[in-house]
Amino acid sequence: MLELESLPARVQPALASAPYDRWVTPEGEVKAEFHRQPEGFLVRFPDEADFAIDLVHRRAAGWPAPETTPDHFDSLFRHGVLPMVGNHLGGLFLHGSAVVIDGQAVAFLGLSRSGKTTLAGALAKSGYAFLTEDVIELVPSGDAYLLKPQRSKLRLFVDSAAYLLGNEFAEADLDDDDKHSVAGGDDLPFSDVAAPLARLYLLGRDHDAPLAIKALEGQAALTQLLPHAFVLDVEDKPRLKGHFCRIAELSERIGCYALDYPREYGELPAVMTAILADLEQN
Amino acid sequence: MQLDQRFQVSDDVVAREVAGEMVLLDLASGLYFGLDPVGSRIWDRMSEGPCSLADVCDLIEAEFDAPRDQIESDILALAAQLSEKNLINTAG
Repeated sequence: MLELESLPARVQPALASAPYDRWVTPEGEVKAEFHRQPEGFLVRFPDEADFAIDLVHRRAAGWPAPETTPDHFDSLFRHGVLPMVGNHLGGLFLHGSAVVIDGQAVAFLGLSRSGKTTLAGALAKSGYAFLTEDVIELVPSGDAYLLKPQRSKLRLFVDSAAYLLGNEFAEADLDDDDKHSVAGGDDLPFSDVAAPLARLYLLGRDHDAPLAIKALEGQAALTQLLPHAFVLDVEDKPRLKGHFCRIAELSERIGCYALDYPREYGELPAVMTAILADLEQN
Repeated sequence: MQLDQRFQVSDDVVAREVAGEMVLLDLASGLYFGLDPVGSRIWDRMSEGPCSLADVCDLIEAEFDAPRDQIESDILALAAQLSEKNLINTAG
């Protein structure tokens, strides 16, 4: 979809243009800025990386900031840039993880640090192979969707890695705030085969809420799906319309459920049991 | 706001009916809004072209079982909200 040329690390230069859009966290931190350029766009992740996107030639050039690790740079491109470009070009990408249960894909959508990778990892550890940890790529197939596998790694915070794998993470520094790439394998099986999407679970924002699964209908499903999509150009109204309609079709075709649970590792077995029972019943 | 005022939906709004209810996305702000089934019918009517609020009241009175004065009050209130959020504009 988009070929990346990785260029040497650089201190981010000042840009002449003002950003036409920003991603800002609830705490006010700017996570990304979007600039127009003659050949396309420049996406800046402040103090992390710049990506110049040339949509005409379907290629991108990327510069990590000096402190950015190769793994994080790769993650910014795969999990940040590629999904936005994919949606811009008429695809369907959402922020979430997914596993295979009984031959069907089950996806977990959530904001950053909502627990979606840990939940997918816990299910993988129980034998339900993961398809993706952060980006849901859906391909329409008749009235259904195929969920495509991404790379065979989970990026986990150290406490999640220690919970899932023990071994070298068991004595790691729990104050370590970076994610660590963990390859799929015998302990955490990965599936490299696209699977039909059976269900979307949207992880609640209240990390202390009791375990509950609730069907989302109509408006609620659509409006709760929208924040999990990626948009490159918020000023491109025709593309936004198309994107909105694709998400609406998804909400009509695939069951959407709100999933709340306490974000405590000890609760994960009960969460997985509830998910499996919910899939069995519905 | 008066019943004889005419309105049309904004070009910046894309609407989608889902399970009998309308979801509106304002492309200018990126905000989205939900309408209940009656509100969805009102939006449908306004989407067909400029119309007065009295026209909309006639339609709702014909299709829903509610007193006329209640319908007029509710439609004036909804139109004020939609207009305030720039989801509908006055039409000539």
